[in-house]
Amino acid sequence: MTQVRGCELPEELYYWIEKHVWVRDEGDDVLTVGITDPAQQLAARVVAVTVKKVGKVLERGQSVATVESGKWVGPVPMPVNGEVIAVNEALATDPTLVNSDPYGTGWIARIKATVWSVQRPELVTGAHGVHEYGAYLESEGISCG
Amino acid sequence: MTTDGQSGPIRLLDLGSLPPLRSQTIFHAVGYAMGEGSPDTIMLVSPDAPYVSIGRHQDADREVDLGTCARLGFPVIRREIGGGAVYLDGNQLFTQWIFDAARLPATVEARFALYCDTLVQTYRGLGIAAEYRPVNDIQVAGRKIGGTGAARMDRAEVVVGSLMFDFDVDTMAQVLKVPSEKFRDKVHQTLAEYMTTMRRELGAPPPRETVVARYIAACSEALGRPIEPGALRPDEVALAERLDERFASADWLHEAGGLRRHGVRIHEDVRVAEGAHKAPGGLIRAIVVVREDHIDGIAFSGDFTVEPSTVPVELGEALIGSTLGEADLLARVKGYCQRVQVEAPGVEPGDWVAAVMKATAVELPA
Repeated sequence: MTQVRGCELPEELYYWIEKHVWVRDEGDDVLTVGITDPAQQLAARVVAVTVKKVGKVLERGQSVATVESGKWVGPVPMPVNGEVIAVNEALATDPTLVNSDPYGTGWIARIKATVWSVQRPELVTGAHGVHEYGAYLESEGISCG
Repeated sequence: MTTDGQSGPIRLLDLGSLPPLRSQTIFHAVGYAMGEGSPDTIMLVSPDAPYVSIGRHQDADREVDLGTCARLGFPVIRREIGGGAVYLDGNQLFTQWIFDAARLPATVEARFALYCDTLVQTYRGLGIAAEYRPVNDIQVAGRKIGGTGAARMDRAEVVVGSLMFDFDVDTMAQVLKVPSEKFRDKVHQTLAEYMTTMRRELGAPPPRETVVARYIAACSEALGRPIEPGALRPDEVALAERLDERFASADWLHEAGGLRRHGVRIHEDVRVAEGAHKAPGGLIRAIVVVREDHIDGIAFSGDFTVEPSTVPVELGEALIGSTLGEADLLARVKGYCQRVQVEAPGVEPGDWVAAVMKATAVELPA
């Protein structure tokens, strides 16, 4: 896995850099969404996560979930337009999965994208995307660990 | 400090007193209404009547005695800021920062350090020896003076807190949902011991204008930017009206919680918690005050039989200062039992310890 400034940033994921949201393309316009390693680092220990209900249709930028850490509450914005088709129920009993495994068991929602092929270019991915994310982290003075 | 060369003057919104609901919705409205080119805002407001504010993910029924609040006429309002339930009234001046995220430090720790410093400087200017206690507490000689919190609202980073003219500990202890009246007494006692206010520190709180002037000066100094009085925009007022409706709705108040904390946190280092253990000789209940991971006070109760009758009180005293480790607790209980001829059928030293451990165990959010 690629590490930038101590943060894990898998190259196979798509990122909305400024919002610290990741997307995994599961095929057939189904996407898994979560918050990135830098995001969980910035939020610190997560104490609660609430996710919008299955069936909710949201536009890019609208909040799909709310994350509360000991000191801060923040939204998880939808990276693209779509419908919530599954939520990570495990977060209700252990919200710290977002901290310990942000790209795995700490995923937040699964969505069916409305216009994935159209909105995909608004996210970054691959070695180039990770490099761009790294540059953003540097400019903001953000690091992990 | 600034992180952006584009930052102009900060808008000061001194809104005086507002109804409870609006005292909450207005800073959310300014946060969500922030667009490109909107000014950063420092808002000052007090509620014109008492109410109870609950954290973003708290379960209202579980945290607040809704019956008592209804009887006393206190609205209960969920905020989009984290943390715990708190009783608020006109004796607090909320100091709310609604800034473009680009113009505050990127980490929540750094934002709190900056924000809390302005409150600390204000108190110090008034002759109160306040200190910043990371991450987000302000204390005077170990007593907390006010609470702070933070949230992201679209492009705005919001940091909120208050200047504490006075605080009604009696009412705060009344409105919380607690497992027993004994527990309530302990919460009350601990609040009284570990919280402070301008009234307590100075005898009488200074005039509002004096405090505000000091606060604005401290903010301007810390942020390195001018602060100019301004007014709410019509779109902000319109959004506040919409949020009034949402925040007053039963759906919003009773939205599923999720946040569970063990006991009641008084400040960064002090909490009150209760645990119970079923020993063969009866149920042992322990209400424990924990300070910096040590026992600060314990009240044992239950349906066990023990002689002499002073044991529950004395044993509690013997445990003050203990760490929360089982071995340390057990050594102290055994030491006490050796000094005093304790007769407690069906209650072993380990049973007292088990009750304490139940209270102090860190509970995972569920």
